[in-house]
Amino acid sequence: MENLNYLFAGYSVFWLLLSVYVFVIGRQQKTIEQEIAALREEIKK
Amino acid sequence: MKRASVLRKMQLILGVLLFVGMLFSLYNVFIMVPTEQKMGIVQRIFYFHVPSAMMSFMAFFTVAGFSIAFLVKRNAWHDRVAVACAEIGVLFTTIALITGSIWARPIWNTWWSWDARLTTFLILWFIYIAYLMLRDYVGEDQRGARFAAVFAIIGTVDIPIVYFSIRWWRTLHPKPVLAGGEGSGLHPDMAFALYFSMAVFFILYLFLVATRLRVENSKMELEEIKRLHVLSTK
Repeated sequence: MENLNYLFAGYSVFWLLLSVYVFVIGRQQKTIEQEIAALREEIKK
Repeated sequence: MKRASVLRKMQLILGVLLFVGMLFSLYNVFIMVPTEQKMGIVQRIFYFHVPSAMMSFMAFFTVAGFSIAFLVKRNAWHDRVAVACAEIGVLFTTIALITGSIWARPIWNTWWSWDARLTTFLILWFIYIAYLMLRDYVGEDQRGARFAAVFAIIGTVDIPIVYFSIRWWRTLHPKPVLAGGEGSGLHPDMAFALYFSMAVFFILYLFLVATRLRVENSKMELEEIKRLHVLSTK
């Protein structure tokens, strides 16, 4: 089980980068959808 | 909007496929495949490192394809798809560079070597970072967008150089294990795990594209509503 720490680090980097990216685009999507809803509400008034 | 609903459905179906596929791929990598004799357990990074690099090539070829389509048809959606895929390509390139470096440390006794494969791959990363910065800087300017598209197309020239670098030059990076000629090849279980992992990464790539394009579609919708709102208040 030599170099297990490197194997762990390699897979951790993959999951970390992927999670951060998905989180960032998920937040972007949510912000834009909120903006669209607010603008639609304003137009209705 | 029709496109929004298609993208949402795609995201859902691909998400389910990805979850199941990824679980099986992890089972292959950590339980099924035999441990490589010379490198030991750290060689298992290979099953995520290689598919990441392959998906970065795929993403950048998609960028070039949509950039050509944008230059020909001047359709803004093509430009947005190109930008989204470039972002995903940079993500996969970053993963391949870092996992490769982590793998290299115990095997080569160094984090990095300026050999042909690593250097050309790093250049590829810089090219598309520059493209994204350029695309961000020019914003909605059409001339700037066209210039960025040309830059993205020229950038793909580096992909065959990266791919063939280990065939053309003597490198510290291992020679190709697939289609590498005499003396190359993988244990059947290792080959299966690699091919399966590549298929899962392809699903991951499509999932990320669908997710990223939903953002672009919503941005377009917001811009349209804003435009109509301004017109109605005039």
